[in-house]
Amino acid sequence: MDMRIGFYICHCGINIAGRVDVEAVAEYIGTLPGVIVSRDYKFMCSDPGQEMIVDDIREHGLNRVVVASCSPRLHGKTFMSACRRAGLNPYYFQMASVREQVSWVTEDPARATDKAKSLSRAAVNRVRLHESLFARHAKVHPDVLVVGGGIAGIQAALDIGSAGRKVYLVERQPTIGGHMLQFDKTFPTLDCAACIGTPKMVEVAQNSNIELISYAEIQEVSGFIGNYTVTVRKRPRYVIEGVCTGCGECANVCPVSMPSEWDEGLGGRAAVYRSFPQAVPITYVIDKRDRAPCTTACPAGINVQGYVQLIKLGKYDEAVRLIMERLPLPGVLGRVCPHFCEQQCRRAEVDSAVAIRELKRFAADHADPSRWERPVIEEREERVAVVGSGPAGLSAAYYLRLDGFQVTLFEALDKLGGMLRVGIPDYRLPPDVLDREIDQILDLGVEVRAGTVLGRDFTLDSLKDEGFGAVFLGIGAHRDLSLGVDGEGSEGVLRAVDFLRRVNLGDPAALGRRVAVVGGGNVAVDAARVAKRLGAEEVEIVYRRSEAEMPAYPEEIHEAKTEGISVSCLKAPVRVKSENGRAVGLECIDTRLGPPDMSGRRRPEPVKDSEHLIRADTIITAIGQTVDNRWARDAGGGLEWTGRGTLTVRPGAMQTSVPFVFAAGDAVSGPASVVEAVAAGRRAARGIGRYLDGEDLEQEAVEAEGPDPGKDWNPVPQGLPGEPRAQPSLLAPEERIKGFAEVEEALDEDAARAEADRCLNCGVCSECMQCVKVCEANAIDHTMQAEEIQVQVGSIILATGYDLWDPTPMKPFGYGRYRNVFTSLEFERMNNATGPTGGRILMRDENGAFTHPPESVAIVHCVGSRDDRYHAYCSRVCCMYALKYGHLVHDKVGPDTAIYDFYIDMRCFGKGYEEFYRRCQEEGVQFIRGKPAEILHEDGKLVLVGEDTLMGRRYRVPVDMVVLCAAMQARADAGETGRLFGINQGRDGFYLEEHPKLAPLSTASDGIYLAGTCQAPRDVPDTVAQASGAAAKSLSLASLGEVEIEPTTSWIDPDICAGCQVCIGLCPYGAIEFDAQRMVSVVNDAVCKGCGSCSGFCPSGAARCASFKSVQIMAEMDGIFDAVHEVGR
Amino acid sequence: MSHDDFEPTIIAFVCNWCTYTAADLAGTSRLIYPINVRLIRVMCTGMVDPKYVIKAFLEGADAVLVSGCHPGDCHYINGNFKARRRVKLLKEILPQFGFEPERLKLTWIGASDGLEFAHIVNELVSAVKDLGPTEVRKTMVL
Repeated sequence: MDMRIGFYICHCGINIAGRVDVEAVAEYIGTLPGVIVSRDYKFMCSDPGQEMIVDDIREHGLNRVVVASCSPRLHGKTFMSACRRAGLNPYYFQMASVREQVSWVTEDPARATDKAKSLSRAAVNRVRLHESLFARHAKVHPDVLVVGGGIAGIQAALDIGSAGRKVYLVERQPTIGGHMLQFDKTFPTLDCAACIGTPKMVEVAQNSNIELISYAEIQEVSGFIGNYTVTVRKRPRYVIEGVCTGCGECANVCPVSMPSEWDEGLGGRAAVYRSFPQAVPITYVIDKRDRAPCTTACPAGINVQGYVQLIKLGKYDEAVRLIMERLPLPGVLGRVCPHFCEQQCRRAEVDSAVAIRELKRFAADHADPSRWERPVIEEREERVAVVGSGPAGLSAAYYLRLDGFQVTLFEALDKLGGMLRVGIPDYRLPPDVLDREIDQILDLGVEVRAGTVLGRDFTLDSLKDEGFGAVFLGIGAHRDLSLGVDGEGSEGVLRAVDFLRRVNLGDPAALGRRVAVVGGGNVAVDAARVAKRLGAEEVEIVYRRSEAEMPAYPEEIHEAKTEGISVSCLKAPVRVKSENGRAVGLECIDTRLGPPDMSGRRRPEPVKDSEHLIRADTIITAIGQTVDNRWARDAGGGLEWTGRGTLTVRPGAMQTSVPFVFAAGDAVSGPASVVEAVAAGRRAARGIGRYLDGEDLEQEAVEAEGPDPGKDWNPVPQGLPGEPRAQPSLLAPEERIKGFAEVEEALDEDAARAEADRCLNCGVCSECMQCVKVCEANAIDHTMQAEEIQVQVGSIILATGYDLWDPTPMKPFGYGRYRNVFTSLEFERMNNATGPTGGRILMRDENGAFTHPPESVAIVHCVGSRDDRYHAYCSRVCCMYALKYGHLVHDKVGPDTAIYDFYIDMRCFGKGYEEFYRRCQEEGVQFIRGKPAEILHEDGKLVLVGEDTLMGRRYRVPVDMVVLCAAMQARADAGETGRLFGINQGRDGFYLEEHPKLAPLSTASDGIYLAGTCQAPRDVPDTVAQASGAAAKSLSLASLGEVEIEPTTSWIDPDICAGCQVCIGLCPYGAIEFDAQRMVSVVNDAVCKGCGSCSGFCPSGAARCASFKSVQIMAEMDGIFDAVHEVGR
Repeated sequence: MSHDDFEPTIIAFVCNWCTYTAADLAGTSRLIYPINVRLIRVMCTGMVDPKYVIKAFLEGADAVLVSGCHPGDCHYINGNFKARRRVKLLKEILPQFGFEPERLKLTWIGASDGLEFAHIVNELVSAVKDLGPTEVRKTMVL
């Protein structure tokens, strides 16, 4: 076919012709082979310009067209449709941009003309190799997605919904409404924002075509214009929509208090909340973050935050009930727990950890379980033997009994409690506390056989024969390790566990005058303090490492010292010196610390020739305990033991190698804490239950691992005043050593509740379940999970709104330091009738409480906007709302209030705006041109210092309150969100429209439109207008029902493809598949978006992108070089 | 040829969504920059075949610019990363053809970076003027 090319260069008035010699270009191109016509014309895009092309195609039989004018992004489509009208396939067209790329960016006319020639010649060269392409047609899904439920999203959704089309409205917050509903009045008409906003919100809820998906975010977007698939992740509200009646009882009982986001932190809300009374949907929401670190640190998993909050409310019975879900001995643990929870408490980042253990003890002492209703137990027939009545055994017995099993508790001693009874001295754990809590467990109906010893009175087999379906072993570690030195058998050498047991059972061994205790653990300290109480004159703890390495709790060591006990460190016993078989002293050697051993502690090494004698007539060894398993030789029945002499168990279910036998506590873990034993006892109880139900215990092992609890906690508030941790009072040391009275006193009620109030509520919702109890509608579900919803839509409207700029970085204005400097949004909330002050304009006192109205107010414009350091752009709405504030202050505080308006320029550009400005001037607002340089705090006043640029003099204006008109800025996550939808941000961070004037609602992604302040700062009227515009765009697409999809996709020539499949890995859309039969790769047209990734690397050149084939690009380059070589540049 | 007389020819492969749009913006903002850069619009830098770059040099280009969207902003998810890999490898082999690797430049210029576009062109033209014409250009029979 003959090449018959038509070339047209546009003058664009003088835009192009003013720099480029268009006639010369036309003449030059006219000389090229195949160019039949070459013309220049004033406005090619005008009707006569387009007709010129149409006529030439028809008259001269042109089969290629090139236009050199503006950017193809602007008028490419215009000329393509002109070709189409003339019967020429529109892809036989090419454009050269000689305006944006030449005339507007080049000063010298001669150079501009040369460049225009080369670009035009490139286009002509390229167009020769163009091919006819045919657009595909795709159906448009009629539904629309609107992202963001502010006034823009609401308006767009309503417009589409009332046109009879289905629309999904996705909102991230628990309510729709957006910033506009936070405002009080709206300028210039001073309509109340709620009065005009809430009816629209209600309309959204009532319109059957609108499906509101609140508290949700967009997760993924795929597809193309007319056919988008969007995945929405709906966060769990924990309150069931449609069931919640919005009565608010839950919020009344919720113990947690958080700053309210809706009130910009000026007011508070509970963990279960609704942003404001008119919220849509009306459903409450529970703010639940990851479990608090105290709870996850607790071996028993007690809901620490929950019971601390209940104590704050004075609900001590509820607190103890919550504790007892995981721990049947609250009073015991409230005294002896090593409180792993407190080590993780984030209050320590402010001052010091919450005194959690003291609070637990307080609650246990103040609760009265005897008044509680007996729990309903569904009785079961299976019998379980619990051997050992220490913390593990008691815990297992308690939870087994609650599950309905018939429990018999075996105890070797005459009294129950195990180590709690005989290991822990009474001054730390008074026996009546233990008795009370054991009785409470026994009251559930547990049979007790005290004084019966495993291996002597019964065996595992005899228990089985007796009809026990399962056995729990909680036999503890009661056997003292021996020191292994000469003279250990002398009279006067005692073993600590044995010593403490006898004391606790009321049969203490006789002590000498001087007592030496060997060891550094809690047992050693207990033994020393008991010895002191029994009348020993001098008590000395001898330990082979330094004090820092002592395993005993530091507070115990401290108390021991205050009781007059000395601690000698870095001494290792070598032998017990005795006379006539009686110990008279402990021969020791000094040690120094060497490198760390397996336990991570530094190993003590003896110092040569440092032997010396510590005189003592009683020596108590407390160097560790082990499980007494001597019984197992006869009665063990095949139990497996570890090398450390503890029982081997399956970790989750605590099942031993003998299937019907379970074990927990020190017998499994070796000597450990009470809370760990209780936790393991409860786990074993669950394991036994599942074993007796015939369930698989492998699963239990997996669950025991559990997922990572996560660290998405409530952030530690900044600037929180430090409050000292509550300290329980202690008995005076000289009183203590007279007997075994409890050393630590409980907190009093005020102190306890104040201490509970120090909790930072890391998990926000404390899961105290008070809300569940009061919700009559049963709408609360704390187990709710996030939900993924997939929607199919034809188009998407983004109305994601803006963030207010935080003026903290602008240090001279003192925001965040001065309590009466507010941002505009804070001031809006203060004015709003549902806000933190009920709509009154009030100043804050030093505690942050709102007190009395100001006598003078300053309003500062352009804070963070029109400022190169922050945002160069004008935020556009501030002048007008600043005027509104002046009016509101006069209206609410009184006409005598002095109002100063510090502006740079007044921009009152909209309908009725200038008139409003005049009105405010007449109302007596003082306008001062000149932004303040800084705000000072002098004599209780805020003093604005700056220059009045109209008067040409400096000012110092003292006021009571300052409102900063902070800039609107793009959402912090606008970039991330934009990427999901394939749209870009402009320099200012706002979303980039397709064209600032001609396509302000469209984006680079076809079928995705913009509405409202996500595109640029704008006021409510403009936002609503733009939203309706975007809705119209979506509706026109939907009513068209079909779109043309550009045929510029890729194609792989099967005759050339070598089947290497490199393209398959390169395609970002998975649009290429391998045809195994033909051994070639094949592009799926419907999925391909024409990026050309495949064509950019195909080794054989088989992959080609339509309209961007390599021959076309090469030809374009040739054209450039041909021209450059001809004209020399 | 003196520094001032030398008018380098620079071919720029720019993606439709970001850098081409930035060039349009530079135009509408009337930012004056040297004429030496000729844009070739591609849909994505990921479609820039290494042979285009070599061809440009062999035909007499004094430098080649490949410019796309900022990382993470690619209209086609990750085309710009493909371009980055190819440019890196091209820079390895260009010396074998007698071209200094500095003559090939890869940049990210977002759609709203009109200023940045003009700035990069200015910088590149000045750098290439310092380098002088390529060997190919010098020996080319015109």
